[in-house]
Amino acid sequence: MAVSRKQTAKLANWGLNLILILIALLIMAPFWWVLVTSFLAYKEAFTLPPKWFTTSFTLENYREVFNLVPFGRMAFNSLKISTIVTVGAVTTSTLAAYAFARLRFPGRNVLFLVFLAALMVPQQVTVIPIFVMLRRFHLLNTHEAVYLPALINVFGIFLLRQFFLTIPRDLEDAARIDGAGHLRILWQIIVPLAAPAIAALAIFIFQGTWNDFFWPNILLFSQDKMTLPVGLVALQGARGGGPVVYIFAGLSMVMVPLLILFAFTQRTLTQSIAMTGIKG
Amino acid sequence: MQGSTELESSARSIAVASRRSRQRSLARREALAAYAFISPAAVFYLVFIAAPLMIGIGLSFFEWDLLTPAKYVGFQNYRTLWHDDEARKAIVNSFRFTFWSIVLHMGFGLALALAVNRAISPVLKYFLRTAYFFPLLMSWASVSLMWLYILDPNFGFVSYYLGKVGIDSPSWFTDPQWAMPALIGVDLWRTIGFTFIIVLAGLQGVSPQLHEAAMIDGAGSINRFWNITVPMISPTLFFIFVINFIGAFQIFEPMFIMTHGGPRDSTRSIVMHIYETGFRSFEMGMASALALVVFVVIMLVTMVQLIVGRYWVHTE
Repeated sequence: MAVSRKQTAKLANWGLNLILILIALLIMAPFWWVLVTSFLAYKEAFTLPPKWFTTSFTLENYREVFNLVPFGRMAFNSLKISTIVTVGAVTTSTLAAYAFARLRFPGRNVLFLVFLAALMVPQQVTVIPIFVMLRRFHLLNTHEAVYLPALINVFGIFLLRQFFLTIPRDLEDAARIDGAGHLRILWQIIVPLAAPAIAALAIFIFQGTWNDFFWPNILLFSQDKMTLPVGLVALQGARGGGPVVYIFAGLSMVMVPLLILFAFTQRTLTQSIAMTGIKG
Repeated sequence: MQGSTELESSARSIAVASRRSRQRSLARREALAAYAFISPAAVFYLVFIAAPLMIGIGLSFFEWDLLTPAKYVGFQNYRTLWHDDEARKAIVNSFRFTFWSIVLHMGFGLALALAVNRAISPVLKYFLRTAYFFPLLMSWASVSLMWLYILDPNFGFVSYYLGKVGIDSPSWFTDPQWAMPALIGVDLWRTIGFTFIIVLAGLQGVSPQLHEAAMIDGAGSINRFWNITVPMISPTLFFIFVINFIGAFQIFEPMFIMTHGGPRDSTRSIVMHIYETGFRSFEMGMASALALVVFVVIMLVTMVQLIVGRYWVHTE
């Protein structure tokens, strides 16, 4: 045969690449369809065959989203809650992780095990009691109800402790001889050295809170308190018998900033997911 | 002479004692600092994990609709649960979803990771990783809404193209036979990137020397896959397995948004059943009992996984 072994291998290589690209396009196709459809007037939005490109263009659907639900307010709520949870949970985790990794105190191992045990408690076990508690304290339909329970992150404590343990002690010993307190050692030596792990944790707590539907759906009732994921589902209800294409505009407004952000931070993000193994 | 040594030794013992007490006070200071550092996490732990767990156990022995006073009913909730067809169906649905989710994720995730982990151009690799991973960034709420319309039998593009190639697509979310497979498919689309990224990271840790050595010994690619790649990444595979199990068994949003558990309860997951028992029927005690049973099931399964994993996972 004229085709050499090397050529066959090359051909197979390209074939495989082609399949991989095709899969990637299939995975991305839904996003593109939603985006294109969101710019169509509702009368032509869902005519078949499906439109993958368009020359006609309207912003009507986007305007309607803001008329139906307080979309800007919801975006702000999401940002507010996600920021509070990220800063708060990273802080409590860092402090506790430092104590477990570096300080000696009676009951250290037992306490650590007690914390770790919480990793096994799934959220559906605590949701009913937490709802009952928050109701008792008149915190239902407030942002506090959503972010307070999220300020403890046992996984974060575990992750950061493991990372702190890998940092050599020599640097701290020198600082301690110079009379630095624990808070200063943590802030000036440990935190800068553990920055990749802390950043990874922060990204994932933020992303997880930003995307969470389960808790806000249970705890927030009024539209001006809602976060974006709950707001989008509320939009589906608020639309009544109105055109479905409004939802597509809402979805696009959530999707496009994410896609742009992700295109730039993909490497950091995927590396930190590989490092922490947290599922979004 | 005698007197001076006595003096010396007593001076030494004073010095030792003072050093000891200084050490003791240092140790006490360190312990105090530690407790101070742990206290914020501990307070939230007590209030939002420990207390709810206790309250949940307590609630499971009561009948309570939030409005009228709670009534102690002993093990009544657990007895009811044992004979409750809806609960049983929900557990079966959750296991069904979990089984297919794990099989498909591990299979496709491994295949994709192996295919990308070759010598391909960095640009292409970057593009593929971005594309495979992106759906994971979207919330389940967005994903569910999107697919609700993508799979719509009237105007969604999936049914249209299936029709083009001569396949009469079912009405995905109203056909009891097809609703669950549709949800499993959407879940695969959304979360395959997670398995893919983790396995890819695991593959990059396999040293090429091992493969080269095996190749010199004449081992074919299938042989090398089973005898080098799989054992080397077995910790990663095991980790993915456990995480996928925990995630899949707690699935809630896609059912809640796309199918509302229907048609005919065919997609009602266990977490969805807990949610409806608690927040639709307002049976707080019953919902708590249900949640605890699920908790025990997850714990037992995880323990079995860990024991099996110890025999199977290769460690250096």
